[in-house]
Amino acid sequence: MTNGLVIQTERLGKSYGRIEALKELNLSIRAHGITAFLGLNGAAKSTTIKILLGMMRPSSGDGTILGQRISDPIESVRIRRKIAYVSENKRLYDYMTVDQMIRFTSAFYPDWRPSEEQRLLRQFKLPRDRKVKSLSKGMRTKLGLLMAFARQPELLILDEPSEGLDPGGIEELLEILVARCSEGTTIFFSSHQIAEVERIADQICILHAGRLVLDSSVDDLRESYRRIDLIFPSIPAEHDFRIAGIEDVRTRGHQMSVLASRNAEAVVARAHDFHATSIDITPVALRDVFLQKVKEN
Amino acid sequence: MLWYKAWLETRSRFLISLIGIVALCSASVLYGDRNVAYEVGSEYYNFVLFEGHQLLVLMWTLAVTLIMMGGLLGEKANGSSSFTLALPVSRRRLMVVRICTGLAQAFVLAIVPWIAMFSVSGIFGKTRSVSQAGCYLVLLLGGGLLFFAVAVLASSLISGVYTAPAVSFGAVIATAVALSSAAMRRYSPWEFMSGARYRSEQTNLLSCPIPWLQAAIYMLVAGLLLAISVKAIQRREF
Repeated sequence: MTNGLVIQTERLGKSYGRIEALKELNLSIRAHGITAFLGLNGAAKSTTIKILLGMMRPSSGDGTILGQRISDPIESVRIRRKIAYVSENKRLYDYMTVDQMIRFTSAFYPDWRPSEEQRLLRQFKLPRDRKVKSLSKGMRTKLGLLMAFARQPELLILDEPSEGLDPGGIEELLEILVARCSEGTTIFFSSHQIAEVERIADQICILHAGRLVLDSSVDDLRESYRRIDLIFPSIPAEHDFRIAGIEDVRTRGHQMSVLASRNAEAVVARAHDFHATSIDITPVALRDVFLQKVKEN
Repeated sequence: MLWYKAWLETRSRFLISLIGIVALCSASVLYGDRNVAYEVGSEYYNFVLFEGHQLLVLMWTLAVTLIMMGGLLGEKANGSSSFTLALPVSRRRLMVVRICTGLAQAFVLAIVPWIAMFSVSGIFGKTRSVSQAGCYLVLLLGGGLLFFAVAVLASSLISGVYTAPAVSFGAVIATAVALSSAAMRRYSPWEFMSGARYRSEQTNLLSCPIPWLQAAIYMLVAGLLLAISVKAIQRREF
């Protein structure tokens, strides 16, 4: 680990011919936290994770996980020994039973915890003798999660971990993630589900069209982002409010809505200058920040 | 545990192939013996075993191609390659285990049917020659490993669970056709495996010394193809 960072990438890029799927990604994921990796479909979240795990080669740049270089095949094996990963599609070996899958996987990891395995088997109600191919998507997801959670890895990388789970399963998952984090495991997960991200993440990285458009702690987001709704007797021009730290300005009739990542006070002062009759400042939900970042990029 | 995975992945294809080949080869020898309604010399039984071997060559080639389908590209097609590639093992090791498991199965698929054919002919009191059987096995495995390697290479280059074995079969047929002329026949691995070139018309026994050099050349080419397969998987993006 370097500088307390478990994942660090420098100008990581991936191109397919002329198409640049990932553009100069600089990621810095701190230890002992929960980082959410957000993005629309096709934003290159899974591509990034596959590059981190050595399944794909970067076209440019490099990175480290737990101090080991991701582009070096030998160091990549060391990385995979120390981390746990649950893939996006949760497909496992159809020809194995649940029990065979667990026995097979546990043999690769010295940090496997049989007691935790037993506990999770009971909690997830997984049938040991059932073939993987006959499991539902939700059950398969739970088996994939069990094989990651039965270990004590330094880093958990989860690609859309809640996909296929029912609301009860999602709740269980979030509880386990928080518990694992409190035990010292760093968690890096990609998701579309902003509500669940908002509940557990400490740090948010938003990827859009292969570019990192936001990297911030959730606390900073909550403190700095404000929605300022204004009503004027005579609506001023939008550009009068496009000052530093203003992400978005929208007008509708006599109303103006300003999204500020900082400088909310300056907006209020300017609103007074234009004789605003109503000024309403509210905290911003992560969903709004996400949509704004996606829209502006 | 990678051996365990490789075994579980291929065991049904392997066991079905083994049972099928043993049954067909045994039946071929049994039928060949029973077909004789008159007193014949030992050369006829040698011919029956030769015919049994021809069936074995055909079935064995089919079986190894089916057994070697899948692998990481097959897993990519069904979505489980992410799980495999996240294991703390190198791709080289994954391939070596897969190839070694396949080789062991290929050897069993060659040896057990011969034991079965021997047992069947023994039950009926017919002549048996271990050296002849050994010679047939060297020919089968010497030339057959080339087709085994082609199957591994196809499964390492071509995505799609069933496309790779189809291409591999195509390569087998193309090789057989391309090298079927009188001038080229001596280089044909298919001809080599069948032992037809080495069979005496009078005794129906394999009459020449084992062609070690040709077997070594086929195995060398097979080794090269397997090395290319490993490299292809190491370089592949998933």
